[in-house]
Amino acid sequence: MSGSLKSLLYAAVLCIVCSLLLTAASSGLQPFQERNVLLDRQRNILAAAGLVAEGKRMSAADIEALYGRHIRPLRVDAAGRVLSDPEPSRESLPLYLVIIDGDRVEGYIVPIDAKGLWGPINAYLAFDDDGATVKGFTVYRHAETPGLGGEIEKKWFRDNWVGKKIVTRQGKFVSVGVAKGRVEEMMPADKREHYVDGISGATLTGKYLAAGIRDTLSQYEPVAVKFRKNLAHELEGALPRR
Amino acid sequence: MNGVIAKPWSALKGSHSFKEIVKALWKANPVSKQILGICSSLAVTVQMETAIVMGVSLTLVVAFSNLIVSLLRAGIPRNIRIIVQCAVIATLVIIADEFLKAFMYEVSKQLSVFVGLIITNCIVLGRTEAYAMNNPPGRSFVDGLANGIGYASVLVGVAFMRELLGSGRLFGYAVVPELFYQAGYVNNGLLVLAPGAFIMIGLFVWLEHTLLEKK
Repeated sequence: MSGSLKSLLYAAVLCIVCSLLLTAASSGLQPFQERNVLLDRQRNILAAAGLVAEGKRMSAADIEALYGRHIRPLRVDAAGRVLSDPEPSRESLPLYLVIIDGDRVEGYIVPIDAKGLWGPINAYLAFDDDGATVKGFTVYRHAETPGLGGEIEKKWFRDNWVGKKIVTRQGKFVSVGVAKGRVEEMMPADKREHYVDGISGATLTGKYLAAGIRDTLSQYEPVAVKFRKNLAHELEGALPRR
Repeated sequence: MNGVIAKPWSALKGSHSFKEIVKALWKANPVSKQILGICSSLAVTVQMETAIVMGVSLTLVVAFSNLIVSLLRAGIPRNIRIIVQCAVIATLVIIADEFLKAFMYEVSKQLSVFVGLIITNCIVLGRTEAYAMNNPPGRSFVDGLANGIGYASVLVGVAFMRELLGSGRLFGYAVVPELFYQAGYVNNGLLVLAPGAFIMIGLFVWLEHTLLEKK
């Protein structure tokens, strides 16, 4: 057998063996990984609502218990009405209510799907029950450059969102944008509450993230309006009792 | 045989494997002497936990890729040997990454791309090409372990200093007493950033070179 034919054969066999190993590892570990992803999302939802302290170690059971007690996942239609059918569908929007003291709606959480620079950015944005003030922001999946766009998952950037308003004093929806640089230096005083500090070296990530948030929040405006008009009990009342 | 039993230490010291281990851990430490694997040393040494997980992952990858390459070494065609080594290393790295995602999800999120980047770490390919291709499996495995531990020890040393001085913590637990902060002690913010890691690794390199010269 000639040398190059042997090399080719060797490479082919090696590729098959390696891919079999990888397939086995990937499919064997998938259930564990999926559970971790689910727990990580629940933890992020709790963190956005301010119910979990930063960096606190929690067991899977703790997270699930806390999530079960405080978070009510539901789906709403385009007009902000709660759907009885909890199955995901194209028209319905997922929404999470934050429940305190067993029945009081303290706020709500919107899942954000934004286009990033290198891949999708998935985040949660929590709001107070006034339907206008951001209560927390967490990113649970992204593919941005570590150290640049990747800073969106860091504490300083997430804390940056707390207290920002998505509507003007006159009640007009404006969303929250990402400034180029520090808000205090770049924005006039009347716009500061609608912008967060940007990340230097990651202008595009900020732009895409702000656009994704704007798109998502405009879809959720009917829900936000209910909160602004103090009609949150309409949402809560439609919940299936546990 | 009698000599080995009478003087186990000197026999061990004189053995080939022992010399190789000393070389990997100290005389030719991959990070502080050969200046390899600096990229990941800068990136994952902000905290002890990530540094240790990274060190263990790399040690396992080097040891097993050395073992596998050494077992295959007689059959690997010379002209595609680097490709074969890369395939073996890449497979092991991806398996390590999958395991981290399944059982240490939080840590794997913090390590992000750096576990995957073990593939490009010069230490791994360096050891398989320079050592495992020419040595029997047992010795190659030990060489891989020793080099991995040599890398991990510097990583953990740097992470210890960075976490202690940079955030006043070790393994995420506060170790600098609150009293110090009230008395005006401030964490060194530079050490949390990459330049701080660069300076710290530089100090380790300096330390090792100075100690080696003295002998």
